[in-house]
Amino acid sequence: MRLWGRIGSGEVKVTRGLGLAGYGIPKAAPVVVAWKEITEALRDRRTIINTIVLPVVLIPLAMAIPILMVSPKTTPPVVELVLLDDGGAAGRLASAISDQGGMSLVVRTGRVNTSAEILGGRADLVVVIPEGFTANLTSGLTASVDYYYDPFSMKSSTAISMVSAAVSRVEEEIVSERLRPLNLSLDYVHPLVEREFQVTSTGREVSPEVVVGSMMLPMMVGVIAITGAGTFALDMIAGERERKTIEALLTAPVGRLSILAGKYLAMTFFSLLAGLSTIMASILGLILMAEEFSAGLQVTGGVGPSGIGQAAAAAAAARLIPEGVNPALVLAGVVVAMILAGLTGNAVIVMTSSFAKTFKEAQQYLGATMGVLVLPMVAVPYLPPPMMGPLRLAPVTSIAMLVRDLLVDPGNVAALVESFASSVIYLMLLLIVSAKLFGRESVIFG
Amino acid sequence: MPAAVATVGLTKAFGDVVAVDGVSFEVEEGSVFGFLGPNGAGKTTTLRMIYGVLRPDSGDAVVMGRSVTRDPRGVREVIGVMPEDTGLYPRLTAEENLIYFGKLRGMEESELRERVRDLLTRLSLWEKRFTLADRLSKGMRAKLTFARAVLHEPPVLLLDEPTSGVDVMSAREIRGMMREHAEAGKTVVLSTHNMWEVQKLCEAVAVINRGKVVYRGGVEDLERLTGLREFEEIFVRLVRGEITA
Ligand SMILES: Nc1ncnc2c1ncn2[C@@H]1O[C@H](COP(=O)(O)OP(=O)(O)OP(=O)(O)O)[C@@H](O)[C@H]1O
Ligand SMILES: [Mg+2]
Repeated sequence: MRLWGRIGSGEVKVTRGLGLAGYGIPKAAPVVVAWKEITEALRDRRTIINTIVLPVVLIPLAMAIPILMVSPKTTPPVVELVLLDDGGAAGRLASAISDQGGMSLVVRTGRVNTSAEILGGRADLVVVIPEGFTANLTSGLTASVDYYYDPFSMKSSTAISMVSAAVSRVEEEIVSERLRPLNLSLDYVHPLVEREFQVTSTGREVSPEVVVGSMMLPMMVGVIAITGAGTFALDMIAGERERKTIEALLTAPVGRLSILAGKYLAMTFFSLLAGLSTIMASILGLILMAEEFSAGLQVTGGVGPSGIGQAAAAAAAARLIPEGVNPALVLAGVVVAMILAGLTGNAVIVMTSSFAKTFKEAQQYLGATMGVLVLPMVAVPYLPPPMMGPLRLAPVTSIAMLVRDLLVDPGNVAALVESFASSVIYLMLLLIVSAKLFGRESVIFG
Repeated sequence: MPAAVATVGLTKAFGDVVAVDGVSFEVEEGSVFGFLGPNGAGKTTTLRMIYGVLRPDSGDAVVMGRSVTRDPRGVREVIGVMPEDTGLYPRLTAEENLIYFGKLRGMEESELRERVRDLLTRLSLWEKRFTLADRLSKGMRAKLTFARAVLHEPPVLLLDEPTSGVDVMSAREIRGMMREHAEAGKTVVLSTHNMWEVQKLCEAVAVINRGKVVYRGGVEDLERLTGLREFEEIFVRLVRGEITA
């Protein structure tokens, strides 16, 4: 790992410049402290890889791989069509299924061992058109189409929905034909029409992406609040104490509050880095998913495959934000919420670290505290609107609610102010308490 | 001449253990002062109260006219400290460890660069300037910690066992720099277990045992008083309570 310096020799390569930049930075204590913390943290290879690099790589993969696996585009499901009836209706259904496309179809006319085919992995779905199929239909009775599938396989389900689309089409045709002599239309047997109207506070329709986004984004910002700068932050407080560096530091003519401010600055930097990279990675994942599903999005005229991908990507990203909502506003709001979340999480880390004698103890306290804080946040996507009010007043959850309101109900200024104000008040309280605890004598030499 | 460092009845207990019990002494400006005592005598605890990271239960320390209980920040402005634990940042290089403290002390960029280069060169650490502190040998770390304490040329140096674990050449260099510091009219307070060092370096000492001062005064006075030439012998008898000053 040349990138982070030859650790073996203890010489620093890449971040050396960052360290020597210290000569030139302003003398304001918080800046000096933040410079030092960031320089040191960037050399903590394991933590950087675990908290920044791995998520950036794993999130898009985790999102894209399942899609790639079940996507009909990459590997179409194998459907075996077993024709035990050689009548006209059976032939008609068979050709409808084969016209459906999107699957690789194998047609057989003799009996097959359906279980062996499915469990042996030779087929994702076996469709059997039994004997007497045509006869039943011509005499005005019902006829069955039998599906043999693997309930654990996503591909089997995909295959069923494809085949069943073809079956429905044929069924409609048959019904129409049966009704025609009676001078009736299809409407006669479908007397009820279901109509759906989305009711949103903006009065506009939202795409499924917006719905997913409005569930995901608040959670992500909330998670930043839960984890803060995580190991980095623990290291800056508990680590400083465990390595006994705090003693020398406190002999410099710098206020403890300035030192803490510098540490918060560095922690917020890492919270934002982790948060933004997670959100970027998720958007990248969405783009990969969108690209996979963009079969219909064929752009003609000199646009290569990557052009198609980009168009799909842009479309996917755009659909994340509800129509009529200013994307810049959402972005700014999310960044503000992330800073709030990062500071809140880090203040909790500073507090819990102050009670702990060791790094490990600090981690345990932190786990318990965060568990309590995260509970109400889990409820955000599920609660009905009247119950959202109290959530705007719950610590940490208020930040998730702020992001949710920004996406879902940007016109509701009162709600935005409420969740913003309560987030800021909790943050202030936590910052004050953490400042009181930081650098206590018993904490340093306890 | 006013004392550079004066402690008055410094007392500190940890639970039932009274680590420091009414310690009073004065250090003349421009001198090297030795602070001696067996393990657990309370040297480190006393120094910590003087440099302001431990609050005394009672008593006070005054450094260059500033009281550590009333003006701790004022005290920190005039001292350079070498704690018992080096407190170097393991993932900062030798040079960066110095930059950090120079900046925190408000040193100007050009002054700081020059001083860092000068100190690292004198202490034979210049080739190691890009080496992470946790890859330095124990003696190198001690030298670097010493460099950090003198970086901003403070009026008062407070050093907790500055030469322990340091090789002959480097210890000599550090002692030379301590003497220079005093010759420039500044003050050095060091705790040490090295009796030879005390005899070579210190004008005056305070010997403490179980938190109490058992002797304070000039080294030469003590030699004259006891008729002993080996300081180690004097120290042993002081601690055993065989002689009192
Ligand atoms: N943080 C602490 N908590 C509890 N007891 C302490 C603490 N620090 C020091 N002590 C106790 O106070 C007494 C004095 O310790 P101190 O470190 O000041 O001795 P010292 O003279 O520096 O010894 P040494 O020569 O070994 O460095 C000892 O009994 C020690 O156990
Ligand atoms: Mg000691």
